[in-house]
This record gives sequence, structure tokens and C-alpha cells, in this order.
Amino acid sequence: MGREIFLKKFINFFIYIILLRCFYLQIIRYPYYYQLSIRNCIRTIETGIPRGIIYDRNGRILAKDAPSANLVFVPYDIKDVENEIEILSNIIGFDKEYIRKKLTKKYINPFDRVILKRDLNSIEISLIEENLHKLPGIFVQEGIKRIYPFSKKTGHLLGYLGEISQSQLERLKEKGYKIGDIIGQDGIEKQYDEYLKGLPGGIQVEVDALGHQRRIWGKKEGEPGNDLILTIDATIQEIAYEELRDRNGCVAVIDPRNGEILAIVSNPVFDPNNLIYYLDEKKHPEKPFLNRVIKGQYPPGSIFKIITEIAALETGTIKEYDRVECTGIMEVSDRIFHCWKEEGHGWVDINLALPFSCNIFFGTIGMKLGVSTLIEYAKRFELGKPTGIDLPGEASGYIPMVQEADPLNLSIGQGPITTTPIQLLSLISTVANGGNIWQPFIVKKIISPKGEIIKEFTPNMKKIVPIDSETLDILRKGLKNVVEFGTGTRAKVEGLEIAGKTGTAQRAAAEFELPTHGAFVCYAPFDNPKIAVVVFLDYGSSPQAAEIAGRILKRIFIPEKIEDKNETETEIFDE
Amino acid sequence: MKQKLKYLMNSFKEKNIIFLSYLLIFIGICILFSASKGVITKESFFIKQILWAIIGSILVYVFRNWNYRSLEKFGYLFYFIILILLSIVLIKGEGRASRWIGLGWFYFQPSEFAKLVVILVLSSFLSKRDIRKFPVLLVSLIIVGIPFLLVFKQPNLGTAIIFILIFLGISYIAGITRKQLIGLFLLAIISSPLIWMIMKDYQKERILTFLNPMRDPLGKGYNLLQSKITIGSGGLIGKGFMKGTQTKLAFLPEYHTDFIFCVIAEEFGFLGVIIFTLLYYYFLSKIVEIIYIRKDIFGKFVATGIFVMFAGHFLINLGMTLGIFPIVGIPLPFISYGGSSLIVSILSVIILSSIEKHSTLF
Repeated sequence: MGREIFLKKFINFFIYIILLRCFYLQIIRYPYYYQLSIRNCIRTIETGIPRGIIYDRNGRILAKDAPSANLVFVPYDIKDVENEIEILSNIIGFDKEYIRKKLTKKYINPFDRVILKRDLNSIEISLIEENLHKLPGIFVQEGIKRIYPFSKKTGHLLGYLGEISQSQLERLKEKGYKIGDIIGQDGIEKQYDEYLKGLPGGIQVEVDALGHQRRIWGKKEGEPGNDLILTIDATIQEIAYEELRDRNGCVAVIDPRNGEILAIVSNPVFDPNNLIYYLDEKKHPEKPFLNRVIKGQYPPGSIFKIITEIAALETGTIKEYDRVECTGIMEVSDRIFHCWKEEGHGWVDINLALPFSCNIFFGTIGMKLGVSTLIEYAKRFELGKPTGIDLPGEASGYIPMVQEADPLNLSIGQGPITTTPIQLLSLISTVANGGNIWQPFIVKKIISPKGEIIKEFTPNMKKIVPIDSETLDILRKGLKNVVEFGTGTRAKVEGLEIAGKTGTAQRAAAEFELPTHGAFVCYAPFDNPKIAVVVFLDYGSSPQAAEIAGRILKRIFIPEKIEDKNETETEIFDE
Repeated sequence: MKQKLKYLMNSFKEKNIIFLSYLLIFIGICILFSASKGVITKESFFIKQILWAIIGSILVYVFRNWNYRSLEKFGYLFYFIILILLSIVLIKGEGRASRWIGLGWFYFQPSEFAKLVVILVLSSFLSKRDIRKFPVLLVSLIIVGIPFLLVFKQPNLGTAIIFILIFLGISYIAGITRKQLIGLFLLAIISSPLIWMIMKDYQKERILTFLNPMRDPLGKGYNLLQSKITIGSGGLIGKGFMKGTQTKLAFLPEYHTDFIFCVIAEEFGFLGVIIFTLLYYYFLSKIVEIIYIRKDIFGKFVATGIFVMFAGHFLINLGMTLGIFPIVGIPLPFISYGGSSLIVSILSVIILSSIEKHSTLF
């Protein structure tokens, strides 16, 4: 029976302790805690989450943190809203509605500082400091900003940072993300946010009734996140950006030997250092945040003839010297099929048909091959499927079902088929390296602030497509002749053998009243491919795309000519 | 009217356990009402709590003449079901701190029910066997151990601790020897580094924060500090009902669940705390009485288990809000907002009441 008594003694003992503790807190320490509570004076100030540095393959910095000054306010201390809005809009030229919305919103903790404007310049800082006495509850506070030394040039590649959205918060809450966190919103910053993000720094302070800091209760230094080393070559990235100029379109450069992405550029682009200007969608209907390289889905056009040719040669449907007569027009049942060259190419074999991109020739062999074989070969080269590049939001493109497509249109890359530029880049790389499909990738290494390697990404060969060497020889020869004397002569570079293929989404585009896209894929040097390039131009022709690809390759491979060429280039660019 | 009042007074004096628990629930709802008038108007959880209390009263009515002894048979079935539910929670919430199974508007929390089920199964098991025999002790350890580990992995440190207390309480009344206790204690010490290893970082952090609150002034230390400010600023008589500033201004996170005691302390002061604590004590001592009266062993063990569960929750919850115990996150039964917790508490009281009623039959 004695054991039951113990239960009672046990609880008695602890009840005494609890009451004693309450006596201590509520009676003895009452004045102290009352003061703390009445002034609500314990405040947490976060000073930002430091992020890791992003380097290119040669150690050039593409993104880094820098100290900055933010304009913050304490919602609870804002008494005369209208007055403060007036002053703020006068001295910083804020949009009144924007401040009113921010200041009058309900906050979970009205004593936590909220950022009103990031990265004040020195003039703004001094203006605010001068008027500080008229602005109770408003402060200038140190923070962190992200700097992108290449600004627009690396826009789509790196992405940008922004405050976590409600839906992101719900998804990421478990990973320790919280309201107000600044996270990567696109590109590499988003894809590797978990690695880049460090631990937030902050101080907890006791403030007096006016909100002035009185005593620091605790301070925690922020810890930077991990650094990234990319496969990107900043020089090539710059070249690609400069050569695309202000044309809408995109360029991507890859090493066909291993899938390392060397450059990714897409236009129109935003400036990550001046984001607010671009975030206003009404002012920017041209969608500056769309990375065309991975999200643009276009009919591959004549570039698809690479697939048709491989399929035809591999299945033995035609031999190298089998000829077809192109009269510029072809009637199939009740439809009329045109070649892009109205007067026709005459009698051509595959060695001439590819360089001249003869639609009649490829249409004819496409009909012989049939839709299902064409689709099978397209899928063999992983068209219509995300490449798995380490960027967020890659589109898949679309390979039609057998019943959706007709062989004539499909064989020349028209109709319901769409691909992304990165898929076509992968295709030309596979031709260049003889059948290996490498997964394109951008991050090589993740390195901790202490210098330890956290993760290393090695090239990943997704698949080997067996291609007969004779087929390859014929195809490559044809691709070389595209640039030698065919549709891609504007890509020609003296002293460098380039193999490539033009593509224009012509007919389908006209039917659906879409803008035509000029495209060009190529690799160089011909006998030892080191670089593959894809260029897409909105509202452009494929020879224009070829010219841009040629200029990029020239600047990569023939550096001694860069200087004088570069000067004239920049002049043009400055105009 | 007068008669009704008299009836209520009598219920109080007689320590009618159902009456006492509903008195606590009523206090809880008032506190929640006050707490829901904060700066941020959350969906009023106090209305939901009223709904749960009503559902609870229906249960009380349905089971008014029910004999708890049928639980001896069903205990193992419940045990089996709850293990499956706990596993579902674990698998579903892999890598996340997830304790719930969503059922529309209601988030079902199996770990709350697991406590009661473990009490029933352990009592049923030990009521027929002698715990002083080693195999019996071992099996009892396993009975508690499996749900303990499942809950611990969630991770839900607070509930896991309650499991330990339930085991200790029932085995103590069942007559565990001093030697066995010392053995278990040593075992716990030896395995504690192991437990430390499988603990989640945030759990370690909480314990370290408890030892040194200034370790993380922005995170966990903040809760503790704000909790102390809230309680301390209540003073002798408090700031008055609905007039608490700390909780209203949402300095304190989770003030409507784990930190609900702070609202009482802030608004009603030290006097309120004394009254509240004594009332709770009154309720707990009633359970001890039931343990005394009860001659049938199963009932005695169940009552003990429920006592330990309530007392453990009460002491740990107050302990952590007052900064004398690490912040492990467990609710204050009857008072904190939460459907699962309230229903389990009411079910426990129904069982206690049945044990009390049927005690004279033997």
C-alpha cells in the first residue's frame, strides 16, 4: 500500500516547486519582467542569410554577397502612418501605395523589423538619417545583398533571389525555411539554394520605449553557405552574350565530350542587380525571366533532318548515292508540299540534300521510313524529354504520337513536334562524339566555406546510341558541307572547320501564325570536336543564327584575332 | 437555480471526476477565448475546442454505464491499430517532423491515443503476471518500447518521455523491485549516448538551449525568455482577463497550445496560478483516491497509468514554461488547444469514472 502514497508525495513535491518558481518570477522578479513586458522591448533583428560564392570553371566570381544597408521599420512603432508615408515618398521617391500597403499590413510579430527597401545607396542613407527624428519606428539596418559581377550576362544562368513566397514556404518549411527568407528564385541560385544558403545572423536587443537599442542580449554571426564551382566559362558566357547582342533568342555552348555547359544566354534578359525594374510584368510583356534554352519549345525545323538522315541510313532505306529529283513542289494525295527553294534543287543525293536542306528529298525518304520509325529515332536521341540539366523548370518538348503526325512534315521537323534548344544541343553533341548522350550539367563542385568538397559532379553518360560509322561519316560530311557551301555558310570561320545544321520553323509557324525562329546547331573543330553551340533567334532566319554561331566559335578558337575584331564588335554593340 | 448551484458545489466537494475535468475544460476554453483575441486573429481555435468538448460530452453520455473491464479484451487490438497508425505517420512524414494524419478539417494525432492504449495493454499484461520475473519485465519493456521508439522517431520527445513515466508508474505500483529499478536506470545511462546519437539536431539543440538559454537567443532561447517575461509580468493579481499584452501581441509563439499556462499567469497573476494549480492538484488527488479504493488490479494499474499521464503532462508542461524543464512541446491536458489531446483526456476520465463506479462490485 505504501507505494500509492509515494505517488501523492511525488506530485506534492513538484507542485511546491512550481508554486515557488511562480512566486519567484511573479512576485520577486515582477518589477523586472513587468518592465520588460510593458515596453515590449526584446527585439530580434535578423541581419540576413549569407550565401556561398558562385565561381566559373576558372575561378572567376559570378555571384557573391556584399554588405548593404536596408531601410527597415518596426510595425508596432509606426504611429502616424500618413505622415511617415509622406516623408518617405518625398525623400526616397517611393510609391505611396507600396509603402502604405507595407506599413499597414498585419504582421505576426509587430515588433520584428520588416524590410521596406533593400540596398539603399549612400544618398538615400544620408537623407533618411537626416529625417530620422521625424520617422519613429524607421531605421537603417545593415544587411546583405547579392552581387552579380556579370549582371545581365549571367541573368538566366544564375537566376535571382527573392523573398520566399507562400507556396514555397509551405513546401520548404520542413527544411528550415521561414517567412521573409531570401531564397533563389530561378537558375542556379534556385536549383542549389539548399547548398548556397547559410545560417542567418542576428542580434537580440533590448530597446527602450523609443525603439533605441539599449542592451544586446545575444548575438549570432551568420554562417556563409557553400560555394559552387560551375562548368561555365565566364569568357565564353560573355562572348555568347555579346554576339547575341540585343536579338531575342538564346545561345548555349557545351563541351560535347562530357556534357559540361560552357555558356547559357537567353534574351530578353533581366538584370539581377536591378531586379525590381524587371519584376513589374506590365512594363515587361516580353517575359525577361523566360530562359529559352531550357524552357523555349520550338519545332526543330530542318535540324530534325539529322534524325531523318540517321534513320534512313541506319535502316538502309537509302544508300549514300540514291537520288531524288526536287522540282520545288511535290504532290502527295491532295496536298501540295513545297521545298523552301521554289525552283527546286534538281536531282540530289543525301550528300547534297543535307547541305541544301532539301525538303523534297527528306520528305520523300521520310515517307519511305514512315512515322513510327522517325519517332523511334527521335526518341533514341532523347528528343521530347528533359535533358536533366541542373536548372529548374526545364521543359520537355513534345514528340507526337504516331497517329498525330504525317511523315512528310515530321521528316523535316514540322508539325506538332517541339524540342528545346538544349535538346538540340545535346543532339548535335551526340553526333559530334559519335553516339554518347551526356547529361548536360552546370555545377561541377560544391565546396564548404572551410574548403572541403561537399559534392562533386562527374559527367554522366545517360545513354550510348549505336550509330554505324559509315552513317556518321556521311552525316558529318554533310554537316560540314552545310557550312562549306550549304545553308549555313554564314557560320564559316577561316582556319576552323565547323559542322552544323540550320533550321527554320517555317511552314508550321506560318500555319499557326507563330513567329518564325531561325536556328543553328554546330560543333567544332570538325575532326576533334571540343565545342558545340546552339543558337535560336526569334523572328530571325537560320543564316542569321549561323552567323552568330560562327562569330562565337571564331572568338573561342581564334583568340589572336580577338583584339582587333573585338574593337569593331564593341563599336557596333555600343551603337 | 439555487438547487443547480448546490448540485454543482456538491459535485465539486464529492470530487466528481467528470465534473472536475469539465471545470478544467471550461477554464481552458475561457483562456483560449482570451488568447484568440490577439493581434493576429487566427481562425478561432476556441470554437473548435468547444466543439471537441461537446463531442467529449456525447462520449461521456454514451459510456455512462459502461464497464471498463471490456478494455482488457480490446486493449491488444487497439495496440495493434495504434502501432500501424504511428508507422503511417512516420512513413508519410519521412524526414519531417510530422505528428498528424489529416482527416479533412481534423488532424488526427495517433501519438496522443497511443498513450492511453499503452496504459491499457501494459495494465492488462501486468495484472496477470509478476513483474519481478525477468521475462515479464522484458515483455513490458517491449510493450512500451515499440510505440516509444515510433513516437521518438517522429520526433516527439515530450510524448516519448510520457511513455517512460507511464512505464515507471505502472511497474512501480505493480511491485517492481529496487534492484530492477537500479538495473533499468543503469541501462538508461548506458544507452543515453546512443539516444543522443539518434536524436534530431533540433532536439539536441533544445536540450542544449535549456542548459544555456543564451546559446540561441533568436530561436529556442527566445521562446523561453518570452515565456518567463510573460509569466513574470503577471505579478500578484495579473493584468486582467483579456488584457495580457505579451500573448496578445504574439511575442510568444504557440501560446494557445504548449504555452497556454503563460496566458493564465499573465492575465490572472500569482493568485490565479495558485488557484489553477490547486484545482489541477485537486483533480489529480482524486485519481490517487481511485487508485487507493480500487481492489481489482487491472483497474488500479489503469488508474495509475492515467494518473501518471496527467501528472506528467501537467508537471512537464508547467516546468518547461517556467524554465525548469527543457522545452519538449507537450500540451497541458484540458487546457491546451488540440482535438486529439482533449478527446484522449476525456476518454481517460470516462475510464476513471467507470473504474470508480465499478469498484464496489468486487
